[in-house]
Amino acid sequence: MGTENPNRANNLQGPSATPFAAPRANMPISSSHPMVGSQTSAFRPTSVPAMPNASPFSSPGPTAGSGTPGFRPMQPGRATPSYGPPTTGPPQRVPAPQFSSTSQPTPSQTSHVGQPILPPSMRPPPPSYVPSVPMGSPPQSLYNAPSSNNPPRSFVDSPYSASGPNIQPPPSSTRPTYPGYPGMQSNQVNPPPPPPPVYNQGGYAPSQPPMPAPFSSHQGGYGQVPPVAPSSGMYGGGSAPPTGVMSGLAEDFCSLSLGSAPGSFDGGLDAKALPRPLDGDVEPSSFAGMYPMNCDSRYLRLTTSAIPNSQSLVSRWQLPLGAVVCPLAETPEGEEVPVVNFATMGIVRCRRCRTYVNPYVTFTDGGRKWRCNICALLNDVQNDYFAHLDATGKRVDLDQHPELTKGSVEFVAPAEYMVRPPMPPLYFFMIDVSISAVKSGMLEVMAQTIKSCLDNLPGSPRTQIGFITFDSTIHFYNMKSSLTQPQMMVVSDLDDVFVPLPDDLLVNLSESRPVVEAFLDSLPSMFQDNVNVESAFGPALKAAFMVMSQLGGKLLIFQSTLPSLGVGRLKLRGDDLRVYGTDKEHTLRIPEDPFYKQMAADFTKFQVAVNIYAFSDKYTDIASLGTLAKYTGGQVYHYPSFHSTIHKDRLRHELARDLTRETAWEAVMRIRCGKGVRFTSYHGNFMLRSTDLIALPAVDCDKAYAMQFALEETLLTTQIVYFQVALLYTASCGERRIRVHTAAASVVTDLGEMYRQADTGAVVSLLSRLAIEKSLSYKLEDARNAVQLKIVKALKEYRKLYSVQHRVGGRMIYPESLKYLPLYGLSICKSTALRGGYADAQLDERCAAGFTMMALPVKKMLKLLYPSLLRVDEYLVKAPTVDDEFDRVCRRLPLAAESLDSRGIYILDDGFRIVVWFGRMLSPDLARNLVEEDSATDFARNQTRRTTSGRVLSTLKFS
Amino acid sequence: MGEIFTWLLFFFILIALVVLVVYQLMCLADLEFDYINPYDSASRINFVVLPEFITHAVLCLIYLLTGHWVMFLLALPYLYYNVRLYTRKQHLVDVTEIFNQLNWEKKQRLFKLGYIIFLLFISLFWMIYNALEDDEM
Repeated sequence: MGTENPNRANNLQGPSATPFAAPRANMPISSSHPMVGSQTSAFRPTSVPAMPNASPFSSPGPTAGSGTPGFRPMQPGRATPSYGPPTTGPPQRVPAPQFSSTSQPTPSQTSHVGQPILPPSMRPPPPSYVPSVPMGSPPQSLYNAPSSNNPPRSFVDSPYSASGPNIQPPPSSTRPTYPGYPGMQSNQVNPPPPPPPVYNQGGYAPSQPPMPAPFSSHQGGYGQVPPVAPSSGMYGGGSAPPTGVMSGLAEDFCSLSLGSAPGSFDGGLDAKALPRPLDGDVEPSSFAGMYPMNCDSRYLRLTTSAIPNSQSLVSRWQLPLGAVVCPLAETPEGEEVPVVNFATMGIVRCRRCRTYVNPYVTFTDGGRKWRCNICALLNDVQNDYFAHLDATGKRVDLDQHPELTKGSVEFVAPAEYMVRPPMPPLYFFMIDVSISAVKSGMLEVMAQTIKSCLDNLPGSPRTQIGFITFDSTIHFYNMKSSLTQPQMMVVSDLDDVFVPLPDDLLVNLSESRPVVEAFLDSLPSMFQDNVNVESAFGPALKAAFMVMSQLGGKLLIFQSTLPSLGVGRLKLRGDDLRVYGTDKEHTLRIPEDPFYKQMAADFTKFQVAVNIYAFSDKYTDIASLGTLAKYTGGQVYHYPSFHSTIHKDRLRHELARDLTRETAWEAVMRIRCGKGVRFTSYHGNFMLRSTDLIALPAVDCDKAYAMQFALEETLLTTQIVYFQVALLYTASCGERRIRVHTAAASVVTDLGEMYRQADTGAVVSLLSRLAIEKSLSYKLEDARNAVQLKIVKALKEYRKLYSVQHRVGGRMIYPESLKYLPLYGLSICKSTALRGGYADAQLDERCAAGFTMMALPVKKMLKLLYPSLLRVDEYLVKAPTVDDEFDRVCRRLPLAAESLDSRGIYILDDGFRIVVWFGRMLSPDLARNLVEEDSATDFARNQTRRTTSGRVLSTLKFS
Repeated sequence: MGEIFTWLLFFFILIALVVLVVYQLMCLADLEFDYINPYDSASRINFVVLPEFITHAVLCLIYLLTGHWVMFLLALPYLYYNVRLYTRKQHLVDVTEIFNQLNWEKKQRLFKLGYIIFLLFISLFWMIYNALEDDEM
């Protein structure tokens, strides 16, 4: 009956029918059993008794089997108690001589040589972990036989967590390095104790000298990896056709061999084989593919588009479960969000849960009722909205209703969505004019940029504008349209700030345009000779608040010194090396003075968004200043030791974008979701106005918000979970609007499916936000470890899914969807906000990066984490005329030292700045053409320029 | 006879503490159910936080002056906790983060409430005990 029924039916079947039923049902059986068979037959008849042993583990299900016993094997000590003293004598050779000859011709020796090479290059193993490895071992001796092809837990847990997950892939069936191991083999000839199908051990165990320490025995384990990796050899010997198994592998997951090839001496990790996101962010197709009426993934991305149906599944999915929302993302031409005006009818919403009408609601009862897709309540269709249903249950007027066909839509909000008349766009500037601001040239660049943007400010002719400057006093400017020159008023009473002429400080831009221009023209010269070093930041902030509290709007603060006068003055801190590494470390990253939090709260209350532009070369306590931006939905722009010749372009670009991009004013955002699921925490730059209502005084396309959800019930009974993001805002044109994004995601019962539909971009975005939040209350070290631990746990969990069925020892396995996750995880740990300790990043830069990353949309975040590196010298030399040739000639290179050739010029672009790298052996002509004469001699060092990529190229070309 | 009055005094001070803590809990609960906005909630709570701390400090002082050592020792952990919060400047509710801290703030106050009620019952017991003893004499 319902309009959307056909679609819904498809949707319901979609997920369950196609993606997982087939591979999961067939594969495990077809692949695992033959494999065991093949091994047994190939290696040695004695291991036939191992079959029954192996099957119990696989039968309870892939995870159960691998979960308990699977990870035990690696214990050095375990063999000794049960099997007697380690003997490295002949008995081991007896059982499996042919094996050692076939698949491990050299390994024992090579692996030995390889050991010292491999470990240092890949991981600095934390000493603290090492002892823990042998500890838990003794009771597990029972299991070691069947589980021999499973990765030892110790690998995943310990040494790797320090160095990052992408090297976690452990050895496998071949870990004979333990002194205790050989003893087992000898016993195996005697009947009972679980006869280990540990095929290879016999082969080379004897040749291994007993490893003295557990630690080195681990390394031995790594070295051994290779023999298993070339598993084709083993399969070839066996009866099972290797092809079937391999194709199964390809369908289910990707794997990466981390061991060296047998016989080779190098570290074994093929750097070229590592997955690198050179194509930028690839959005998962499943999101849109399965539910074509979903909003575009630029607006809403789920960390996995397969929602787990039970709490236990959630706990096994180790990554955060959530969404990243960018409600106003930029749309390409032709894909604008349609605007729907219900006029007098009022916006159609569910009576109970207040969900907006969307493509997934179903119409029943001949079109007289509609069922809410989120709470399943049957609502009446208003008379004005009524339309008959056709034979398929669709509304006949479907094509006239974008809200019923599109996932993203904008409703024009009637008067009941307003608490006051829609505010005009309002820009208020608070400018530091102390000596450092003048000297650095910031004042001039800023004034020029603002002037050039006056034409493009959104919302003309209603736009309002105003200025305050301050040093040790506060200067107000009367810019009434009747004046020809702005009138300056100085308030020097910082303890009791008052606003002179409260009505004329904020003026309508189109009316007072000449006065504003005159002011901006004279501003740099006005303070040219200012030698004042003080900064009455706090009092000026209060004054700005008083001026703006009537209307709200956007406050842009240009600050180039540490606030030193009046309320909110700040101290120099952060240069104390000793604080790092202690429990007090995080206090440096949180605001020192409660004044700033209080002001931020007040600003949000009165719909003021604060953007901070900080320029100082010295410490300015961004941690405190940035709080203003953080809780008002603003942004922090930081230009460490700003100098106008270098940073001019970047400031110009960012300020112009800030002023001219489409902005939504006095907004609130809420995300609703279906029954059984609840959003629990929100991460980003905003303030919560109630438990689930995000207050955003100003929001634009460069802001994204992340949220995590949890299951309320232990078991979800629904097939689909719907999400609906609603952003109520005032557009610059003065219209009140509601932007609604709706998306559906299917509920699954299978962990593998969750991983298959995971979205690396969203996961990384959420992980980095969590890490930054963590760094505000814990040490940096803890924040980094938390990220790594999450990723390691997730991959370990994934490994458990498959390690029983496939022989994947020695390889790291990961879902195709998350292939970049380890890389991005490491990038997060190396990002400015989180890397190193005291010396690795200045405190201000660190805090500014943290505030920035909390606001970035997914794509920009990924670009910041993994910048693009281009080699441009060939392109410059050829001087091509066609523009589009650029993309063809300059490809993104992996960010590795090998990518850099000392004869080239490279550009590294992370979306915020551009680093031009001149190779040491660069031809002098080329260099001289690019850089001025005097610095050409010095070009081997890095040159930093900050602007957009296109511009740098053009300046390079023409200079 | 004086003993009864001191216990009576303790009793009323404890009642006042209970009222203050319950008031804070109510504000937090209201906030959770979206009856008031975070600004009002935080300012209301912060308004009574210091009075609560001072009342408790006074109570401890009176315990000490009137020689009720055991009661003083019983009330001491609470005092220590308050002083610690105060010196770390964590005693006030942070309006910007109030939703993230909601659970912790509630839990903390529930524990306080339980603690005070425990003290209250002891006071009640001694008051009645003293009254009965007085009667017998």
